[in-house]
Amino acid sequence: MIEYIGENIWAGRLGHAAVILSFVASVLAFISFAASTFNKPEGSVSWKKLGRTSFWLHSVGVLSIIVVLFYIIYNHLYEYNYAWSHASRALPAKYIISAFWEGQEGSFLLWTFWHMVIGWVLMYSTRQWESPVMAVISLAQVALSSMLLGVYVLGYKVGSSPFILLREAMEAPIFSNPDYLSFITDGNGLNPLLQNPWMVIHPPVLFLGFASTIVPFAFAIAGLLKKEYSSWLTPALPWTLFGVMILGTGVIMGAAWAYESLNFGGYWAWDPVENAALIPWLTMIGAIHVMHAYKKTGNSLPTTFILVIITFLLILYATFLTRSGILGESSVHSFTDLGMSGQLLVFLLAFVLLGGGLLIARWRSLPRSPKDEGTYTREFWLFMGTLILSLSAFQILVSTSIPVFNKILGTNMAPPADPISHYNRWQLPMAILIMSLTTIGQFLKYRKTASKDFYRSLILPIVLAIALTIGTLIPLKIYAWPYVLLLFASWFSLAGNGSMLVKQFSKIKNAGASVAHIGFALMMLGVLISSANKEVVSINQSGVSYGEAFDAKANFENVLLWKNEGLEMNNYRVTYIGDSVAPPNHYYKVFYEKLNAEGETEYDFMLYPNAQINPKMGLIANPDTKHFLLHDLYTHVTQVIDKDAYKDKPKWQEAKLVKFKGKGDTLMLSENLLILEGMSLQMTPEMAEKVAGAEVAVAGKIRVKTVNGDIQLEPVYAIQNGTEFRYDATSEEAGLKISLNKIDPKTETVEFMIAEANPGPKEYIIMKAIKFPFINVLWIGTIILVIGFTMSIMQRYFEALRIEAREKQT
Amino acid sequence: MKRTHILLIVIIAVAIGVIISTVGDSSSYENFSIAAANPEREYHVVGTLARVEDMHYDPEQNANLFKFYLQDNNGEVSEVVFYGTKPQDFERSEQVVIVGQMKGEQFTAQKILTKCPSKYTEDEIQIDEYEATGTAPISEG
Repeated sequence: MIEYIGENIWAGRLGHAAVILSFVASVLAFISFAASTFNKPEGSVSWKKLGRTSFWLHSVGVLSIIVVLFYIIYNHLYEYNYAWSHASRALPAKYIISAFWEGQEGSFLLWTFWHMVIGWVLMYSTRQWESPVMAVISLAQVALSSMLLGVYVLGYKVGSSPFILLREAMEAPIFSNPDYLSFITDGNGLNPLLQNPWMVIHPPVLFLGFASTIVPFAFAIAGLLKKEYSSWLTPALPWTLFGVMILGTGVIMGAAWAYESLNFGGYWAWDPVENAALIPWLTMIGAIHVMHAYKKTGNSLPTTFILVIITFLLILYATFLTRSGILGESSVHSFTDLGMSGQLLVFLLAFVLLGGGLLIARWRSLPRSPKDEGTYTREFWLFMGTLILSLSAFQILVSTSIPVFNKILGTNMAPPADPISHYNRWQLPMAILIMSLTTIGQFLKYRKTASKDFYRSLILPIVLAIALTIGTLIPLKIYAWPYVLLLFASWFSLAGNGSMLVKQFSKIKNAGASVAHIGFALMMLGVLISSANKEVVSINQSGVSYGEAFDAKANFENVLLWKNEGLEMNNYRVTYIGDSVAPPNHYYKVFYEKLNAEGETEYDFMLYPNAQINPKMGLIANPDTKHFLLHDLYTHVTQVIDKDAYKDKPKWQEAKLVKFKGKGDTLMLSENLLILEGMSLQMTPEMAEKVAGAEVAVAGKIRVKTVNGDIQLEPVYAIQNGTEFRYDATSEEAGLKISLNKIDPKTETVEFMIAEANPGPKEYIIMKAIKFPFINVLWIGTIILVIGFTMSIMQRYFEALRIEAREKQT
Repeated sequence: MKRTHILLIVIIAVAIGVIISTVGDSSSYENFSIAAANPEREYHVVGTLARVEDMHYDPEQNANLFKFYLQDNNGEVSEVVFYGTKPQDFERSEQVVIVGQMKGEQFTAQKILTKCPSKYTEDEIQIDEYEATGTAPISEG
């Protein structure tokens, strides 16, 4: 047994204890709330009390884990694997938070944290629903807490603890040294891609979105259990709206992060990890619409149950996809397997059994509307819209799940080689339908609308939309007919919901749906315009022939910029000025001048795309983007010069013999001007030391005028012990090496040997610049969407309060 | 027949369409000989870098042309053309996945995925994706 020096053991022990507390207390909370659900009223209350106490104990555990883990990372306790793997001393304080959730354990912790906070609110706001709802939440907490256990049960590893020591996590000879910690002075550091402000805010928002989907799920389960099939909708509706709003914001923030700091040149790439979060978002939007339909008309209840349950299951499925390592080669940013894929699968299947089983068991007893909805009713088109949203989600789900099919069926399918066109083929028509339905649904009333009134009300938005489509078609350069249809559908949605908003102005509190639809339509419009008109600015126009293998029309999106040599591209003159290093980032200064028709500069700006030339990960390029009101200019470096390749070249060119005729004679070289200022017996102290005791020692004083100012060089000629010595003088800055060869006192001529440095690598960068027009429409649309949802949440929350008050009175 | 039944049939039809289209659009992990036999189809080829000395990238001439040789998992070697910049540190990648199709003797890659040993967590593999930015001349196709 080795006695290790300097380890802070108690932090880890405290952390372990907190993990066990959070797990055991969540099990206790689950049992108590479940018992309270199934018990008779007398027993129920005491069980509920025990459930609450256990949930608070669980909360103490979770909060302690967070505090201890933060303490370990913040204090650089690199004896712990988590701190060592995800942080380093150089890490700026704000990214310590990112380091906290970079690892799987940290992100599970974040999820657990949000469930816990939601649990607090639910315990004191749900009254008769508390026990079954909290039982479901507690069950999820049991599953999530077990992910941090890191213990072996019957040979299976259950969970992965964030508190294991580095020496427990890996084997290395260094750990036989009791003083090993004195060698581990720094951590491995945070993945540079995650060192971005968006990575501080995006994960907590996304996980709050993930966590909030459990609330409608828990209510639906509670409703099925208690056979109260409809009263759960009122309290569940504001939570569902909240979940859609937050999850959507989280997804868009991820897109913004990709746009600001990844170099794939856009905000959406149909990457499996992005898709995994988008799918439940779509089904949850569908759920909201049928929930409204059911509340008003009694239709679509089975669909509501299916969608609410499936949304949460899809969240678990997303977690399984991104964390089990099954995506492997098909995604750029999935996690690798921590040996928990089995556990994740158990987690997923348990909830599938709970939700699916209960729904099947109660299926026949679900109340249904005796007759079909009429065609001219809002509920019918809400249902249709929900179906299209579900199909849209289904299509993304099937294509994203290809690696899962391979695993199950033993097939060898690879994801579509061109994902954009594959997804667009399906998603574009669905988007057109969904956008159109946002207006059609708004103009229909529940139960029944006179068809004449309906068609009459549509005239204005249709005329407006046609006018706007025709008006914007040409300036936006949208010519392909599917895009024209989407453009029309977006304007139709904006016009319809806009006119609806005007009508609702006196009751603005109820206009959440119109506002949210407007936001959504703007988002679609922003996506359409910015992607249809995305323009690569950096097309090579230098006229350099790329050889016969290349067609002149071929499109080359990367351009090479020599340092200090401007290149004109698409009305810009772009110059690579130089670089600066602020470890670990390497910033490349790229100077943009916007040219007008006459070729004069209208305005200019500097961009600093950066790259980390990481010894292990290669070039990691972070773009820099200039934001204008109507467009963005996005630039990133794709290649930089490999200075090492020039290492083997000889440094100096061959020296030349040059004669200076007396004092004041000058010599012009390629870079510098040399002036002989005279000969002197005085020399620099170092030289004086070298020639001490010499018979003769003379220094030639040469002033070198460089672009950066003057430099004095003093080569020395000496005779020591009857032998000639020449001590040369060099300047790296001026790229000169000079030695004094001969002095001829008769002619007053001085001979020097002058060598110029070989020109170093001529520096360049290869970069790509893309113009995204009207991308602000997408971001503004997102903000309006959030405002609309906030309005709806308020409306439904106060409605739920009113209903509750009324129930109390009766 | 109730309208819900008609809807149900439509939905099932669309769902089947989705599945067929996914299978149809999906590429597959194959080797060069299969890709050569079906030049019209796009494939994922997994392999390792071969003949490193014959790798060609001269940004001063053309920043958008990168050629290299890849040995697929069957041991077959083919030249690969990629119209884009050379992924940094390409030489060090342990495994390369290329997505594209065979054109004559050469494989034209639209996308390159490289797997490099990652600094961040010892047992983690870093996957990077590079998209071709140029398009091949039409006349050659």
